[in-house]
Amino acid sequence: MKSLLVACSLLLLFAFSTNADVAKPKTPEKAAKRVLHTGLEIVPDSKLYEAKLQISQSDFNSLRAALDGGAGSSPVVGGIAFSAPRTIVAGLLMFMAVSVGGVLIARSSSIGRAQKTIGAALLVAVLLGAAAVITRGNAGPPESWRWRNLPQALAEGKSTVGGVDVEIVPDDQMDGRTMRLVIPLKKQ
Amino acid sequence: MQNATVGVALRGHPSPENINGWPQRATPATIPFSAIVVLSVIAAAAFASWLPLQVSIVTLFLFAGPHNWFELRYFLTRLPVRFGRSRNFFLTAFAGLGLLTLTYVSLPFLYNATLWSEEASYVVIALWNTALLFWLTLLVWLRSKQKRGANWKWTIPVGLALCSLNWLGPDLFSLAIVYVHPLIAFWFLDRHILRTRPAWSRAYRRCLWLVPLVLAVMIWQLSATPALADNNGLFWRITQHSGAEVLPQVSSHMLVSVHLFLEMLHYGVWIIALPLIGRIASARFWEVRTVPIARHPKGFPRIVACALVLAVVVVVGLWFGFSIDYSTTRDIYFTVAIAHVLAEAPFLLRML
Repeated sequence: MKSLLVACSLLLLFAFSTNADVAKPKTPEKAAKRVLHTGLEIVPDSKLYEAKLQISQSDFNSLRAALDGGAGSSPVVGGIAFSAPRTIVAGLLMFMAVSVGGVLIARSSSIGRAQKTIGAALLVAVLLGAAAVITRGNAGPPESWRWRNLPQALAEGKSTVGGVDVEIVPDDQMDGRTMRLVIPLKKQ
Repeated sequence: MQNATVGVALRGHPSPENINGWPQRATPATIPFSAIVVLSVIAAAAFASWLPLQVSIVTLFLFAGPHNWFELRYFLTRLPVRFGRSRNFFLTAFAGLGLLTLTYVSLPFLYNATLWSEEASYVVIALWNTALLFWLTLLVWLRSKQKRGANWKWTIPVGLALCSLNWLGPDLFSLAIVYVHPLIAFWFLDRHILRTRPAWSRAYRRCLWLVPLVLAVMIWQLSATPALADNNGLFWRITQHSGAEVLPQVSSHMLVSVHLFLEMLHYGVWIIALPLIGRIASARFWEVRTVPIARHPKGFPRIVACALVLAVVVVVGLWFGFSIDYSTTRDIYFTVAIAHVLAEAPFLLRML
């Protein structure tokens, strides 16, 4: 009996040990969720003894609202970013608006040649602008461009301003840290 | 010279001296009128900026219902006895008005019954806004067919562009309607003054420049103010209605103040300016006979009287509702009130 109990105990012990060695099932990694796009200024200050993270009241409100409502940063950007079908409908309607407007300008006999040219140029500008907004086209230089001189600016004690996306990252992807600032610095 | 003036008047154009029996040249009455307009704008801005939530509650309680009554009466005065050539225009107007109001009112019930996702609710709002824009464009097209020499085809691409913007941000577009609607009253007043007191028209238009100026000052002063305390249901509703949820990065104090400022001016135009400015007869608003379709031999005095009395009952009911349960009555009012927002479109088009 004693030997049976010992055997069972050993078996259970080994079983637990074996179980402990089985790799944990891989949980699908949650993607970081972008909740706000705003501006960031990195300011070196020789008088401070501890780093400070300052956030404006309006950005804090936006962040809180985005977390509560699950929406994106600004309503327009958020709305466009999260809905492909609506973006397609908007694009089609804008295409129709520009087409109809263009035809009306071209057919109008009361409008002179110069005015028609100006009108056509305006229409093209509106079309390009709308397309840029709708597709979130990167009309300006990439955000990383603003950060290109950060190391030099830090060395010289100057501040640098650029865009920043605030992301909420699951705890297990932060390696025990609570906040991380990732700067897009390109090798020059 | 005199003959030329008479000739212009006979061809249906107003003479420089006289339109509808009123002198067109500036009169001494223009100065008090301008002073009242300026004082009203400044007072409305001051109250709206000072205590936005409290003044909003009081303003809505006192003036929401009466302003709808005056609006109904004004629309009745603009209604022809026989539609005639405008038959298609009015049929489209009333059909669209009924259908859009019905769908708008049913949206909250459908939302609760079917539990739409956030994206689905955006699509539904975008669809309703698109229907509204198509209806408006159709009305403009029908109206332009009645007006000789009117070329309003440009409204088609504008309507399509607005539709496109609406699909990008349906909630923002709906919020834009909330803010733009009070301004329509100024357009009504402008057309009304042109018809009844043309001498005041220039002064009125000059005074209107004060509105964007005051708005700019309000936005400048209030944009940095802390958010209003929306810790109870009523305050939360007021801030939500002004767009605090749609524009979380903007101070809710500023949003409520700006919206309240526009609403106060809107109520002032419908309750005070439009009934009092014009012919003396139109100032006796309580008399059914002052409404043309009631006065006309082939008119409908009983229907007009019934409509106005029924509207009075609704106004009293609204006051009673506000006294019992302000928040719920407010919600119901702003849902049903879409009808008066829509009704303004065809009647304004008829005045253009």
